Amino acid sequence: MTAAIVPGDAQETLAARAVQVTKVYGQGQTEVRALDNVSVELPSGRFTAIMGPSGSGKSTLMHCLAGLDRITSGQIFIGDVELSKLSEKQLTLLRRDKVGFVFQAFNLLPTLTAAENVELPLAIAGRKPDRAWVDRVVDAVGLRERLGHKPAELSGGQQQRVAAARALASKPAIVFADEPTGNLDSASSSELLGFMRRSVDEYGQTIVMVTHDPSAASFSDHVLFLTDGRIVDEMANPTAEKVLDLMKKLGG
Amino acid sequence: MRNATLKGLLAHKFRLAATALAIVLGVSFVAGTYVLTDTINATFTNLFDQVTQGIDVAVRSREAFSTQGNEVRDPIPATVLDRVKAVDGVKVAEGSVTGFAQFIDKHGKAVTTGGAPTLGVSISSAPELQAGTTLREGRLPTGADEMAVDAQTAEKHGFKPGDRIKVLLQGPARTFTVSGIIGFGSAGNLGGATLAGFTLPAAQEVLNREGRFDEIDLVAAEGVTPEQLRDRVRAAIDPRYEALTGEELSADAARAINDSFGRFLSTALLSFAFVALLVGAFLIFNTFTIIVAQRTRELALLRCLGASRRQVMGSVLLESLVVAVVASLVGLGLGVLIANGLKALLTGILNFDLPTTGTVFLWRTVIVSLAVGIVVTMLAALMPALKATRVPPVAALQPETAFAPTQFRKRRIVLGLLVTAVGVALLLAGLFRDQGNRLVNVASGAVIVFFGVAVLSPLIARPLARLIGWPFAKAFRLPGNLARQNAMRNPRRTASTAAALMIGLALVAFVSIFAASIKASTTRILDQTIAADYILNTETFTPFSPELAERLADQPELEAVVGVRTGAFKQDGATKQLAGIDPAAYDQVVKSEVTSGSFAGLAGGGLAVKEDVAKANGWTVGQLVALQFPRGGTQQVPVKAIYKDNSVNGDYLLALSDYQRFYADQADTQILVQARPVTAPDVSRAAIDRVVTEFPNVTVRDQAEYKAETARQIDQVVNLFFALLALAVVIALFGIVNTLGLSIFERIRELGLLRAVGATRGQLRSMIRWEAVIIAVLGAVLGLTIGVFFGWTIVRALRSVGITEFALPVGQLVVFVVFAALAGILAAVLPGRRAAKVDVLRAITTE
Repeated sequence: MTAAIVPGDAQETLAARAVQVTKVYGQGQTEVRALDNVSVELPSGRFTAIMGPSGSGKSTLMHCLAGLDRITSGQIFIGDVELSKLSEKQLTLLRRDKVGFVFQAFNLLPTLTAAENVELPLAIAGRKPDRAWVDRVVDAVGLRERLGHKPAELSGGQQQRVAAARALASKPAIVFADEPTGNLDSASSSELLGFMRRSVDEYGQTIVMVTHDPSAASFSDHVLFLTDGRIVDEMANPTAEKVLDLMKKLGG
Repeated sequence: MRNATLKGLLAHKFRLAATALAIVLGVSFVAGTYVLTDTINATFTNLFDQVTQGIDVAVRSREAFSTQGNEVRDPIPATVLDRVKAVDGVKVAEGSVTGFAQFIDKHGKAVTTGGAPTLGVSISSAPELQAGTTLREGRLPTGADEMAVDAQTAEKHGFKPGDRIKVLLQGPARTFTVSGIIGFGSAGNLGGATLAGFTLPAAQEVLNREGRFDEIDLVAAEGVTPEQLRDRVRAAIDPRYEALTGEELSADAARAINDSFGRFLSTALLSFAFVALLVGAFLIFNTFTIIVAQRTRELALLRCLGASRRQVMGSVLLESLVVAVVASLVGLGLGVLIANGLKALLTGILNFDLPTTGTVFLWRTVIVSLAVGIVVTMLAALMPALKATRVPPVAALQPETAFAPTQFRKRRIVLGLLVTAVGVALLLAGLFRDQGNRLVNVASGAVIVFFGVAVLSPLIARPLARLIGWPFAKAFRLPGNLARQNAMRNPRRTASTAAALMIGLALVAFVSIFAASIKASTTRILDQTIAADYILNTETFTPFSPELAERLADQPELEAVVGVRTGAFKQDGATKQLAGIDPAAYDQVVKSEVTSGSFAGLAGGGLAVKEDVAKANGWTVGQLVALQFPRGGTQQVPVKAIYKDNSVNGDYLLALSDYQRFYADQADTQILVQARPVTAPDVSRAAIDRVVTEFPNVTVRDQAEYKAETARQIDQVVNLFFALLALAVVIALFGIVNTLGLSIFERIRELGLLRAVGATRGQLRSMIRWEAVIIAVLGAVLGLTIGVFFGWTIVRALRSVGITEFALPVGQLVVFVVFAALAGILAAVLPGRRAAKVDVLRAITTE
């Protein structure tokens, strides 16, 4: 089924979309369908959460959308660009220029300071950072004091906020976050999610987040539920309770 | 436990293979050296057995004076032959002579050797004593103007029986008819020497042996053993002469060759084997440190499961033992190939035609090679094995602490400084104090310095890497900056990787500094001490006919012509070298600062000595000193002059008139010529060339040409050294490959992250490349520093042998650093490719 992304106006643009995407691992006896004919539309300026139990294919979907993994069939677009037509090198450059990432762990290079990590994609591209914008992002995550520190000297929450700042620093078309709060305590989680929420509301950033935590999902505008490689349900304006209820229902 | 070890071995295939290669190369050099020298030894023994065939007993002068690897003995008067002939049990007794004779080929060029002598010998007329030579073609010489030629020379230069061939001799050159071609059993020549065989009377005449023999060869009568005959002869002759059986004579000749040539060869080759093993030891240490670090969790798990510390250590040591044994065996095999290759090379270069002797492979070779390979490997792996025992069981349960900053304890500084100081002290002691085995002191001092610096280097690796990496970070932006950071993050690893390269570079730098200093010193000597306009000698510094100097002296364009002869003598039993000179003109061609007496005083015979020597012996001008010469035994020679060291005169100068009395052979090794001041250079040169055309083995050089030639010869030797040291550098490169391989393994997630956020494969490759370059340059800089220090101290120590100048070939040293950087780029190719292939998803997804 197509997850009809709600509301909004007809002229709303799409930051990314998947059309009838199938992803198969292995072949024959050991064949695993990680994604089974999934179609998704991710509108610009929205915060979308992807949920599902372990092995549901939610991470695979994100990886495919972000151009980190190749699909077996179907089409994936970031903006107007279809990813399957791109070479490895073009994909890399697309990730560099159009996509931001926040991973569950190991987001930062240990040899670089927080500031250098924030500007890493810009440094990779050899671009001059937009100073005012980077300052704004850094202030928004509240890390001004810690910019000169190496990751080993930062707490887990601070590290994830540096990662989030990095994801935004290059003004990407879309930010993918893979269980960004997976390793954080609840206070740090809320801080990080609060920042992500604000970046959508205040700067119109598009964010797609994979999570299995209902309270994390509650920060999003819209939740997609995956099970066995298919989208089985969706929810607009989620709250933690509603998400939990739906999960119970789906699980049962 | 053993099972786990062996599985571990398989898991580190590549890394261990690279390590094993270092051991293989080192061991193969050790084995190759033994096989080669044993084979050469056996070959010469065979050859001399062949040559001395038929001789039951030989008589010769007891005292041997060795000069430039050749033994010189005083010829025996013919009266001794008469006495020996009278001994009961002698069937045949005949004198034989050996001397200088050099062929002129059909193009008028002197036939040269690769350093072996050009011999003229007498060929016996007694059939019993002809067994040593094998007639290949024609017949043996019977007339005074006939000669036999060795098969190798005949073949190479197309000499055939009936040909008229000119031969250079101590006296005037003469032309002989080739009567036949001779071999020595299956060999075509005698260890590379050319040989002209004359009848005994002809040989005595042309080889300056009239009425004398170098050796008397005897054949025993039926029923008399060589030993019996030897003892009888011994009883009958003056104790100045000795009698040996044919077997003893052969063994003695083989020993003499082995003492000079064989020992030189094995020392040189074993030195390189040692360097390869030393570098290899660093690599082994590194690899096992890396393997232990990678297996920390695994080892901790084994400890959790109840393995004792001893078992853990045993596991690492067993792993190293397996590597050592396999690598040593491979090295042994490779060594035989190397020996055969080198033998072929020697045969080619030195024009040896060796009799076919199988490759000699002794148990000693096997045992020493395996022992060396295994001991070096196990010693190098000992530290990492000890480190493995310190992994606490709890490490299995803790997250990896990969980036714990390394703590530098005072202990390392103290230990490093101490070791370095001991090394430097030993080095300096070996260089400047004449005590114990100086070569061993110098070599072990140098090795200890390497270890000391290796202990200290982690302390300076971080700031040095920061400095060296700076231009890369500036020029190559992000990849350069990350490379610099990566090179700095584990200074211990960076330093120990660089240390392997350091050794090679230190030696290369040392050799080039040494060579440059010799060149500079030669130039200085030529500029300041040698007043002669022209220097004449043969390409291999073999002696040539003194007739040349006599003829040159007759040329009106030339002011002074001085022939220089060299010879050995004994003072208080120790063999020393002197130069025989014509004192009348010597002052005009060589500037000496005489502190006491005068060179003019030498006109009536006598000795001039260097100031240091005079002081050491307490000699003053006018004093008679007792010196033992090949001819005439011990003589009282008056000291006539004492001079300051000028790097040309050497320690002793003997008046020519005395030289002629004390030495049987009269041949110059060098002629120094000064033209008349009014004569234009081309005129004086033409005058010399006119005479020299008849002496085609001699080359004329003016000062500029002589400098260029010296430089060329030094460069040749240096290039050979570089080729062998390249081996050490290659081993060190494997070390860099190894370290980078580990770093990539450890940083796989970082690499994945970089790829995920948009770094291209090229950028990752570039990052690895610059890291390798920084490590390589770091090693080069450390190596050059040590090399400059070694060069400086050794040049200082060799001041007394004429190396007065210290020259720093800056351009060349810079080239070495650039070369090291290029080598780093090469070493990064494979690791870079591997880094670029990192699977982004695997790297970033949490386990």
